[in-house]
Amino acid sequence: MLFAQLLANGLQTGALYALIAAGFSLIFGMTRIFHAAHGATFTIAGFIFYEFYSVLHWGWPIAAIASAAAAGLFGVLLDRFVYAIIQRHEGSFFTVFVASFGAAIVVQNLISIFFGRGMVTVTTPLSKSIELMPGLFIAPISGIIILCAVISFLILQWLLTRTNLGIALRALGENPNLIEVYGLTPRRLSQYVFLIGSVLVVPAAILTSATSGLNPSMGNHIMLISIAATIVGGVGSLRGAAVAGMLLGLAENLCLAVIDPQWSEAVTFVILFLFILFRPGGVYGRAIVS
Amino acid sequence: MLAYLQNIAVLFCINAMLALTLNFIMGYAGIFSLAHAIFFGVGAYATAYIAMYGTDSLLICMAASALISALLSMALALPALRVRGEYFVAASMGLQVIGVTIFSEWKSITGGLGGMIGIPRPKLFGYVFNNDGMFLILAFVMLLIVIGITALLVRGSFGRSLMAIRDSESAAQSYGKHVNAVKTISVAVSAGLAGVAGSLYAFYMSFINVESFMLETSILLMAMVIIGGTGTLFGPVVGAALLMSLPAALTYLPFLPPSELGTIQQIIYGLAMVLLMMFRPGGLVGGRSREKSA
Repeated sequence: MLFAQLLANGLQTGALYALIAAGFSLIFGMTRIFHAAHGATFTIAGFIFYEFYSVLHWGWPIAAIASAAAAGLFGVLLDRFVYAIIQRHEGSFFTVFVASFGAAIVVQNLISIFFGRGMVTVTTPLSKSIELMPGLFIAPISGIIILCAVISFLILQWLLTRTNLGIALRALGENPNLIEVYGLTPRRLSQYVFLIGSVLVVPAAILTSATSGLNPSMGNHIMLISIAATIVGGVGSLRGAAVAGMLLGLAENLCLAVIDPQWSEAVTFVILFLFILFRPGGVYGRAIVS
Repeated sequence: MLAYLQNIAVLFCINAMLALTLNFIMGYAGIFSLAHAIFFGVGAYATAYIAMYGTDSLLICMAASALISALLSMALALPALRVRGEYFVAASMGLQVIGVTIFSEWKSITGGLGGMIGIPRPKLFGYVFNNDGMFLILAFVMLLIVIGITALLVRGSFGRSLMAIRDSESAAQSYGKHVNAVKTISVAVSAGLAGVAGSLYAFYMSFINVESFMLETSILLMAMVIIGGTGTLFGPVVGAALLMSLPAALTYLPFLPPSELGTIQQIIYGLAMVLLMMFRPGGLVGGRSREKSA
């Protein structure tokens, strides 16, 4: 039964990781901005939800909308007022990365001033585990998480393949110079990418607040996971990010059957390290030329 | 008061050494490592282990730390040879997380989360550095040695090969530079000297645990290099001096609540990173128009 329990936990973590990684992968694949502050977006979304739902008691729909608005706003503002300015003088990827990292540090510390450094959890009736079989405990929220992930990916898939905006965004990822010929402005599109990518993290943030809880410094872990999943999956491939997120979530939990829990984070990064060494293009990626 | 200033000065020397060695690969070889704290840590743990269970000789401990760090740096050189840019940053982050896990879980060698307590002060030719003033002189001499080594390497033909590789790997190769060898050696030198800094740190603090070698340290070191000026000789020293004096300066501002000092300090350096990258990507010492290549 241990295995079934770990598998269930793995699926839940994997679905969350897939959702988190999708936003980062979208942003990185289409704008080539190494958005290290993606973890900060996650923390903002989670804490805004906590504030509106558990502190102010405004009900979950309003809290979710507020959280999505805050996440989207943060992403778009960062793109507009930081990344755009750096890219104006053709900053290298590292310049953008450092600025993004700085922003993440600022957000993490501002949140710990407002909410304290401790852990906060949103309690809902859904997060209580039910014993399905002897020794197998599953909370209804696990099902919701997986459902949310599937719905989000379907919407995203539709958006990217069926709408004009989606087609323009994919073109941006392919060749930013060429799309100017077609009368589109890469900077405008980049704003949309940041809006979509940042809002994508909201379901994961809300669900995490109800399962394992939030703390201000979790942004780092989220950032590491999204970078790992994006590269393992293959940069620019949404399907890759989803598969890799699931893979990392499963690996992190299933490895508990053989090793101590303290090592589980290292497992994720050993996988990342091996991928970078032997298959830097990722599962679905194109071969990269160094 | 004097003891307080001495303490800051010793820590400044150690951090400046780390920033200089990180700048050596970041600024001159274009290897943006976020795992520098690991080699600092390896040096510190190696010295702690040898000093506690073997000999407290300064030269032996320091040499062993440098050697072990340099050997382990092959784990960083391997991805550096294969990938560049974002991929390498991700690989070094992965290495950092793996390293921290090993530091905190390999309890028989590193003492786990509790760390190692009671590392003796080093002995050099029969003299024991029990006096903090003498230790400051030792740290300062080591800093000068590190400045000397990096300056010599950067000014010489090795440095020119490094910068050629940073600017265009294929061009350097077509001129007959051994790209892989040069990169591997530069990573090993950087990690080895970071190990020396770790060794000094362990001797000075006489207590080490994993807290000093986390991702935050790597980021702080990176911030020192960047704020000072990547690829400049004295930029990292300036950056280290600035970031080390920031906490001390903040304690003198009466209106800040003492419990939030650490947080405010972090916000300031986060903001400094963002603003510098926006308006002065070359750092304080570097020229305004300088562009770093990735």
